[in-house]
Amino acid sequence: MANPVLKPVAGILVLGALFALPRFVDSPYALHMMILLFMSISQGQSWNILGGYAGQHSVGHAAYFGVGAYTTMMLMHAQQVAPWLGAWAGVGMVAVVALAIGSICFRLRGPYFVLASIAVAEILRLSAINLTGLTNGAEGILATDLPPFKIGATVITDFSTKVPFYHAGLALALATITITYGVQHSKLGYFLQAIREDQDAAHSLGIPISRYKNIALVLSAALTSLAGSFYGVYVGFVDPPTVLGLDVSVQIMLICIIGGMGTLWGPVLGSLVLVPLSEALRSNLITEALVKAGVVNADSRTGLFLKENLSHAHVLLYGVLVVLVILFMPDGLMGFFRKLASRRQREAV
Amino acid sequence: MAILEIHKISKFFGGLAANSDVSFSVEQGAIMGLIGPNGAGKTTLFNCITGYYPPSRGDILFDGQRMNGLEPDKVCMLGMVRTWQKVRPLPKLSVVDNVMVGALARTSSLKTARALAMEQLKVVRLEHRAGFLAGGLPIGERKKLEVARALATQPKLLLLDEVMGGLNPAESEEIIQLILDIKARGLTQMVIEHDMKAIMRISDRIVVLTSGEKLMEGPPQEVVSNPEVISAYLGESHA
Amino acid sequence: MAVFMQSFLSGILIGGVYALIGIGLTLIFGVMRIINFGHGDILMVGMYLTYVLFTWLHIDPFVSVLITFPLMFLFGGFLQKVFINRVLHAVAQNQILLTIGLGLVMSNTAMLIFTSDYKILTTSYSSSTLQVGGGVTVSTPLLISFAITAAVTAALYWFLLKTDTGQAIRATAQDREAAQLMGINVKRMSILAFGLGSALAGTAGALISPTYYIFPQVGGGFTLKAFVITVLGGMGSVVGATLGGILIGITESLSAVYISSGWKDVVVFVLFLLVLLFRPSGLMGKSRT
Ligand SMILES: Nc1ncnc2c1ncn2[C@@H]1O[C@H](COP(=O)(O)OP(=O)(O)OP(=O)(O)O)[C@@H](O)[C@H]1O
Ligand SMILES: [Mg+2]
Repeated sequence: MANPVLKPVAGILVLGALFALPRFVDSPYALHMMILLFMSISQGQSWNILGGYAGQHSVGHAAYFGVGAYTTMMLMHAQQVAPWLGAWAGVGMVAVVALAIGSICFRLRGPYFVLASIAVAEILRLSAINLTGLTNGAEGILATDLPPFKIGATVITDFSTKVPFYHAGLALALATITITYGVQHSKLGYFLQAIREDQDAAHSLGIPISRYKNIALVLSAALTSLAGSFYGVYVGFVDPPTVLGLDVSVQIMLICIIGGMGTLWGPVLGSLVLVPLSEALRSNLITEALVKAGVVNADSRTGLFLKENLSHAHVLLYGVLVVLVILFMPDGLMGFFRKLASRRQREAV
Repeated sequence: MAILEIHKISKFFGGLAANSDVSFSVEQGAIMGLIGPNGAGKTTLFNCITGYYPPSRGDILFDGQRMNGLEPDKVCMLGMVRTWQKVRPLPKLSVVDNVMVGALARTSSLKTARALAMEQLKVVRLEHRAGFLAGGLPIGERKKLEVARALATQPKLLLLDEVMGGLNPAESEEIIQLILDIKARGLTQMVIEHDMKAIMRISDRIVVLTSGEKLMEGPPQEVVSNPEVISAYLGESHA
Repeated sequence: MAVFMQSFLSGILIGGVYALIGIGLTLIFGVMRIINFGHGDILMVGMYLTYVLFTWLHIDPFVSVLITFPLMFLFGGFLQKVFINRVLHAVAQNQILLTIGLGLVMSNTAMLIFTSDYKILTTSYSSSTLQVGGGVTVSTPLLISFAITAAVTAALYWFLLKTDTGQAIRATAQDREAAQLMGINVKRMSILAFGLGSALAGTAGALISPTYYIFPQVGGGFTLKAFVITVLGGMGSVVGATLGGILIGITESLSAVYISSGWKDVVVFVLFLLVLLFRPSGLMGKSRT
């Protein structure tokens, strides 16, 4: 990759291929997987700005994901507001929530931010259950009728296939990657990392700590909100556990832990590992493969047990992965690859 | 003209008076030495001056402006910056990135900041380490990194807390030269140091603290020949 | 007034169990400076243990505490020795993440074994009540569990205050390095603390199992409640956690009656945020300068 022309050319080729992919692949399942991948990347990148760069480990990002998703869906369902407009209302709501959290939590050190971030997400989840008039409570909001997307009078798409979602997801993922790149290569990125590494030292070097933490929080929350809006509209349904539950927060964080926090490509790597793995578990692909390979008999007790339970096991897998990564790869896959690379370099010398 | 005036600064931790009624002023361009036995309250005084925590009582005037209760970042932007006795590098950032963080206090351009940072690394002779992770440096180089990073914020007054602590004689000599170079550029400095020979060589005036109080203040010669200082400070540390 | 007394009293009774959970968390935090995000899941393990003992061996849940306590102690010691110990000196977020991960493993393993169905442990006295007078009644299992809680807490205080090991644990909690210099085996204290913390959480699980639904995800809510309790009482303070637990019990019980049961957890979390905002060192802790 020493050639300076190679990198941008390779990048443009990959982008072009990604953009054109739906022309060649028409399996809805493959597109669905790609869309999940894009969403996961967007979630991971968003969390990464606050957690990876600024070192403020939010375990409550479901709050922003959920508020974004709910705002967009409620506006679409009750007021017929197009989701690409409603999503911005979601961003506004989330910014308010984030600033409120920031002003409470960032004056405190240590574990308090983590605790408060969870508490806020829980308050919102419980509120969504209880405010039945507004959110339809535990039943959630079902809204699948999207207005056609027009520019001027031309209808660009009427959302009858997964392709427009694919492109929207791709755009969102690229936007979050680009924004993270911009953060990393700016004063903001340096200041956030300085805060992460040593808050007192950073403060003494002229960095207004609270202001920068709040900037990171609002940026991170706003992007997470967009990912939430996208999720709601794509699935056509939101309810409290699926967009506001603690699992959601953990999963968002996990993308970065596995890939590598505070790195540009960490969330991408993490998504590439997590999304296929959990989808394979969820859809019983693994059991089917085992049956096909003759390892287990489909009608035996083990086979039935696997079929019954493996689809619930993806969260167990999250847990096992977190434990393994923290114990053996605390800097995630990116850190692991870097270590490998530097070892190879040393051996070459 | 005094750039820094300290009026009756006191700092209490519970019942302990880490500083009590300390007053002195530092002349523009001078080097003020600050000595005293362990636990005398030297670092506490730096902490109060730079806003790490507010003094319990007293006034701090910097460049004619009252500084009490200002946050450390404001203090830095007004031109006062400190190094830490127990060094605080940003371990997972490279050496040059560490110094750039300091430089970015005054500019938003990464290019300018990088150039400024490299310049400061040359000043402390650490440019060959620019790409290394700060967390992996040996102690001598970490101390230099502290100084380079502080200088990059373009201060008017630099507060150095035991930058020679834990260094070998050759490294200490390098730091002494560095401090004198910085002085030659017109910067004012306050220096905490235990090594009497070093502090004698670099200081224009010296303040002696014991148990939080100012024991005396004067030019180096006067301070070392003062019998009270000898018994209170030297006597103890040589025992 | 009877309604008020009624809910106030049951608040105190359930608060006793909360105190047990909070004390466990605060002990672990005090000695290791680690916030155990898997605390509620340990409680969940205690619940299932009680459930299994009851349905298979017909051991009364309150009697089973005698088995649950030592088993959960061993379980906690094992967790500390095999997992937590490796991150004692790691950055805080890795410690947090590790305990989150362990919690997920526990709850999802329970789901694989027991499925996600809600289980109910029905004893002969599960729904019986006692007249206290003035029209106020209390649930019998709640009353028994409070009595056991009080006994366990008293024993714990005695252990921490009067025995050498207990004092060593407190010394470690106060200042780990100083304790090490004084010749205290800090590693052993950490295992003990995690074991004790888990035993307390497991005991709490056993005590509530006659009155609560048992399901794999039950722990999450208790973890959060334990945080609220420990922050309220000042992190690391055993006395604070005891009082904090009871306070949370009362708050919850009163808001269930006077606001609505759907909002009672929200009230608790809002209270938590208010404490963070105005008294981050906790209601019992010293205020910061
Ligand atoms: N944050 C604090 N809380 C409580 N006591 C403190 C705190 N900081 C310092 N002290 C106490 O104040 C006194 C002065 O400490 P300080 O660090 O200022 O001394 P020093 O002169 O810098 O010593 P040394 O030469 O060892 O660096 C000591 O007794 C110390 O224990
Ligand atoms: Mg000192």
